[in-house]
Amino acid sequence: MSKQSTLLSAHDLHKHYHMGGEDLHILRGVDLTVKRNEWLAIIGSSGSGKSTLLHLLGGLDRPSQGQVYFDGDVVDMKRNSALDRYRNRDVGFVFQFYHLLPELTTLENVMLSRMVNSGVLGWLSVRAQVKERATQLLEQMGLSHRLKHRPNKLSGGERQRVAIARALLNEPPLLLADEPTGNLDADTGGQILELLQELHAGGQTIVMVTHDPKIAAAADRQLILERGRLQ
Amino acid sequence: MYKLLLIGKYLRRKLAPMFAALAVMLCTAMVMIVISVMGGFLTMMRASAQTLTGQITVYSDLTGFEGYKKLSELLLEHPDIEAATPLIRSYGLIKLHDVTKTVEVIGIEPATFTQVTGYRESLYWSKDDYLQMLDKMSPPLDERTPEIQKGIDRWKKSYDQMDLVEAGMTFQIPKPWSVGAIEYGCVMGIEVNPWNVRTDTGRYGIQNAGLGLPITLTVLPLAQSGSLQTLSPSVRKFAVVNEFKSGLYDVDANRVCVPFAVLQEMLDMHPKQVWETFDPQTGEPAGDPTIMPARISELMIQGRDGVALDQLKDDVQTIVNAFIASHRQQSPLWVQTWEERHATLLGAVEKEKGLLTVLFAIISVVAIVMIAVIFYMIVQDKTRDIGTLRAIGASRSGVASIFLGYGLAIGIVGSALGFALAASIVLNLNEIQDILFKLFGFKMWDPSVYYFERIPSQLDPKEVTIILLASVFSSLVGSVVPAWRASRQDPVEALRYE
Ligand SMILES: Nc1ncnc2c1ncn2[C@@H]1O[C@H](COP(=O)(O)OP(=O)(O)OP(=O)(O)O)[C@@H](O)[C@H]1O
Ligand SMILES: [Mg+2]
Repeated sequence: MSKQSTLLSAHDLHKHYHMGGEDLHILRGVDLTVKRNEWLAIIGSSGSGKSTLLHLLGGLDRPSQGQVYFDGDVVDMKRNSALDRYRNRDVGFVFQFYHLLPELTTLENVMLSRMVNSGVLGWLSVRAQVKERATQLLEQMGLSHRLKHRPNKLSGGERQRVAIARALLNEPPLLLADEPTGNLDADTGGQILELLQELHAGGQTIVMVTHDPKIAAAADRQLILERGRLQ
Repeated sequence: MYKLLLIGKYLRRKLAPMFAALAVMLCTAMVMIVISVMGGFLTMMRASAQTLTGQITVYSDLTGFEGYKKLSELLLEHPDIEAATPLIRSYGLIKLHDVTKTVEVIGIEPATFTQVTGYRESLYWSKDDYLQMLDKMSPPLDERTPEIQKGIDRWKKSYDQMDLVEAGMTFQIPKPWSVGAIEYGCVMGIEVNPWNVRTDTGRYGIQNAGLGLPITLTVLPLAQSGSLQTLSPSVRKFAVVNEFKSGLYDVDANRVCVPFAVLQEMLDMHPKQVWETFDPQTGEPAGDPTIMPARISELMIQGRDGVALDQLKDDVQTIVNAFIASHRQQSPLWVQTWEERHATLLGAVEKEKGLLTVLFAIISVVAIVMIAVIFYMIVQDKTRDIGTLRAIGASRSGVASIFLGYGLAIGIVGSALGFALAASIVLNLNEIQDILFKLFGFKMWDPSVYYFERIPSQLDPKEVTIILLASVFSSLVGSVVPAWRASRQDPVEALRYE
């Protein structure tokens, strides 16, 4: 496959929410194409539906209408197991609020992404390998001294880096980031941005949602979500 | 794999699972203790019921049946039958001191009776009781004058000669007692004597025991036809040579054992010659007398070890049927096992045990609900984690199985702890009671109220296993709804959840 081939595309995505008899038409026909190794930023005001779109792209939610294609194939939104697999192998999520499991250590949180797709025996056979990769990733994020710590002992920036390491563990072709710097101060946010740049330089495809144009400027391409459509 | 990891982590981290496990533990322990104590009670009742009842009884009505010697021989020929003893059962009045009461009187041959029943073991008093009483009554050593010491020594000697168990086994009145011209001893149930009272150890005090007491026994002999044969009741005096305690209050409060031959004669059931013609001049009997054979009311039978009760009953029944056929037996004969004889009593306790178990099992539903509530809270608490897990690719069933596994783990931990708690309480029930008594002067099991000295209990491996499985299962059931909810949790909602 060529370097410029399409990794992800969406066609005519619609999303309705029903609230108290009222129909909220949040996404009104979103079309989108993301190329391999591309870094795309989606900007939009609060409530415009950015997170909703990202959830649809990542198979975390189902569109009311429309299709998502990944690596040339349509993402089967009907089969739960297919979606679970898609989320596990093909995409990595990074959230504004990190979403680390408080009971697990840094290292365990990262390894979790591999754990969820293996049984006990399968896990035992790959454990050492996964642990090594997780350690390596965390080192890369500058967290080698934090492996055994729990999330509540880490700063926001550190937590976000753990979350990124977790998203990358299974080497997903696509990284989805929902306001990854939204909860961080400018300096720390800058560090995270640098990290994303580094990953992007290494060939990682990234779709990032933000409402901060300054952050979005770091991406290759910016799209604005407005009135349910991308401009 | 992450499921096991998370189950482990969740178990260690939070207070909630400890409460859940605690609930399981308490319910498990509660049901186990109830079953154990009731089971122990039942076992003890069964043992007591068996104490003075042979495995199988062949009996007729109050008028008795003839030919028992022959029947007994026939029975003993059977390889599975070890011993048989004849018994006469009647009702009468006794007078001790100035108290008159109705009693059940049985005439026994102690030597064979004890082969068939636990008679010897049920005899309550021994020489030691007397010696102990003497020790208690004697003044302390430093207050003893040579005179007093001499008296004590004399008493001790006379007690030493006296074997009360032996007296109970032979109805011989021990030497040191002087009870006038009374020839025979009798053995009363321990509760027949109204002065017998239990001390707070649950033992009877020997000071008030009826030992050596002369009693007057009155019985009414019956004709073989069942009518009152003579209007003159038969009266004799006996001396109490020992008392027995079978463990069944009704028996111990109402029964008096006297020598077989004596009661047989008193009831006119002994073998005798009867003349039908009389010399008209002298009024003396004339011609050949008819022999009236001896009668008894019951034959008690003990089978060999390991012979099934029902089998034994069938065998006895066969022999009895043959006996009836060949002896033109008049009154009907019934064959009953000891269990059948005490069916009303044992059945009641058995039902009670079943009822209590069911009641406590129902209470244990509370544990299931508690687990469900606690788990619901845990799921609520973990909503964001569930969203995260789903986001990184965990399946619905995977998330559900975390909480099911969690329920299972809590069930296992809780019921294991419950078992430990129940076992330590049940096995030390009486010690615990003693400690409570010392600390607070409170007795759960007052031996002067209850008829057994110690709280009975037994841990039955089968019942324990069932309870353990049931409580693990209940915990699992309790976690089903929360687990289902967790699996239905919309990941997007869950991630949004603050
Ligand atoms: N489950 C739901 N039911 C009803 N309305 C919903 C639901 N989820 C989202 N919405 C609405 O959809 C709109 C878009 O939400 P979304 O979270 O995608 O916005 P956003 O662009 O990510 O905003 P922000 O920048 O604040 O994160 C909002 O108005 C929100 O209230
Ligand atoms: Mg958002």
